[in-house]
Amino acid sequence: MSSVLSTVIIAVSLLAAVYALVGSLRDRPMDLWHLGSLAVLEVLLIAQAVVGFVKLGGDEGPAEPATFIGYLIGILLIPLAAAGWGMLERSRWGPGVIVVACLSVAVMVVRTRQLWEGTVG
Amino acid sequence: MAERERNDAPAVAPDTAPSPSPSPPPPSVNGSVNGEDQGEATRSGPGRLLVAVYAVFALAAGARAGVQIATRFSEAPVAYALSAFAAVVYILATVALAMGGRTSRRVALISLSIELAGVLIVGTLSIADPAAFPDATVWSVYGRGYGFIPLVLPVVGLYWLRRSAVSAPSRT
Repeated sequence: MSSVLSTVIIAVSLLAAVYALVGSLRDRPMDLWHLGSLAVLEVLLIAQAVVGFVKLGGDEGPAEPATFIGYLIGILLIPLAAAGWGMLERSRWGPGVIVVACLSVAVMVVRTRQLWEGTVG
Repeated sequence: MAERERNDAPAVAPDTAPSPSPSPPPPSVNGSVNGEDQGEATRSGPGRLLVAVYAVFALAAGARAGVQIATRFSEAPVAYALSAFAAVVYILATVALAMGGRTSRRVALISLSIELAGVLIVGTLSIADPAAFPDATVWSVYGRGYGFIPLVLPVVGLYWLRRSAVSAPSRT
């Protein structure tokens, strides 16, 4: 796994979470910037999945790849779900859901790294 | 839009108009037959946040339990069976909160209660007798591995069920 990429993803997801939190606190529905930040996040996560699979193919990685692969793929659903929800819920709770989604992505990337390094079971 | 604001008002600005009696539901909503209005009540507004967190948990717990059972069930059958059970309850709670009809509210109430009981009982047992839980479950040590969210979530959920029931009186 590329530690630079994970660090970038964590930073972007935290920034997106803060921006969404601002929108939620100001009682605004989701706007194009929220959507854009989720799109950037999704692209980065796809890049992470590609890098992860390439490296797995190259005989690197955790002893037990099932969970790791689950994280790589499962995490891709989160920004999409958040974007869909933000479009449906035209109130402050749209960005609220994006906050949850972005924080989840950050946590999951940390977990993915731990799985890769074998520091967690 | 007006309906949303009405739902949000008590949550976002408690200082504006603390009406003692809930305002009557708008006629268009009142006319629905299939409990759609109640569905809106648990699902919309802050409820979305709750459903979103539950969805993440259902996904995480379900995937984890699946992997544990598929790869090494014999190592810790009790812990992994418990993980699977917890995952099923989370999935049930997520779906019930998202649907939010009258039956769904009941299902949500039951599954949230099971969660609260589970996290308290398993949390206590895992501290009292760590040998019985060789591998962590979602509920071990009151959900410490998950930032104690498993302990907080059912409490928030039960509170939300109560609140949304008050703001949208059921026609039982």
